[in-house]
Amino acid sequence: MNIEAIGAALGLEVKCGRESLGKNVTGGYTGDLLSDVMGNAKEGYIWITRQVHQNIVAVASLKELAGIILINACEPARETLEKAEAEKIPILVSDLPAFELSGRIYNLLTSGS
Amino acid sequence: MLTLADHILDIAENSVRAGAKLIQIFIEEDSINDLLTLEITDDGHGMAKDVLQKALDPFYTTKTVRRVGLGLPLLRDAAERSGGVFQVNSEENCGTTVKATFGLRHLDRQPLGAIINIIIILIISNSDIDFFYKHRHNDRQFEMDTREIRKEIEDVPINHPEIIKYIRGAMEEGLQDIEPEA
Repeated sequence: MNIEAIGAALGLEVKCGRESLGKNVTGGYTGDLLSDVMGNAKEGYIWITRQVHQNIVAVASLKELAGIILINACEPARETLEKAEAEKIPILVSDLPAFELSGRIYNLLTSGS
Repeated sequence: MLTLADHILDIAENSVRAGAKLIQIFIEEDSINDLLTLEITDDGHGMAKDVLQKALDPFYTTKTVRRVGLGLPLLRDAAERSGGVFQVNSEENCGTTVKATFGLRHLDRQPLGAIINIIIILIISNSDIDFFYKHRHNDRQFEMDTREIRKEIEDVPINHPEIIKYIRGAMEEGLQDIEPEA
């Protein structure tokens, strides 16, 4: 399943990185502690977070994550969007809190298998 | 508490509740030693040793509306999470100093955030208190002192919209000049 399909299924708002929405999502990770995400997220994962600072783009880029989804209708910072656009990292926004969003994405990713 | 500015507002509000007349906020970014230091000093009524011990306990608060007070424990956590240290010194009837250091380039160091907005909020909502903000970035430094501004504006209140506009402009320009990394 790619990010575009996840976004469509959950009504997420795409903020940037549209050209990378076709990337296949291999799993997901939820967290706000950047070092924890660095240590535990894997290539191709979708990352669910409350952080909006540009550092999230650096982490997503280094770990080659499929994309970032911000929870609770959070607005990404302007620099975050600029960096994400340059790094071709999709950032999407959900109205849901992390717990619910993670559960729904988990269901989407595991329902096919 | 997503940014350092959030912590600063929280700690400064403690100082306000402690009856401070002057609140000093120092930020120092030291690139060579990869260190960010935050220091907030007030001349409020301070805390006795046993009260200070309790203030570091997340289940203690001086407020009556909430059962727990998390300001100091959360700042301590934020500092230690980025490889820094946290220290509070307080003397009854003299004041309190809260000092936290952070790894400037540590991945888990919270970003500085909307520091100008926070300082403006503090000035507007506490017009009888003076604020001294000093921000150092290596060899460059910016200062904003409401005691100096009050001398210039004489009997115009410090929270007059025009004065606030001036302070905001001066802070935007001053911080731009020192190019903060945080």
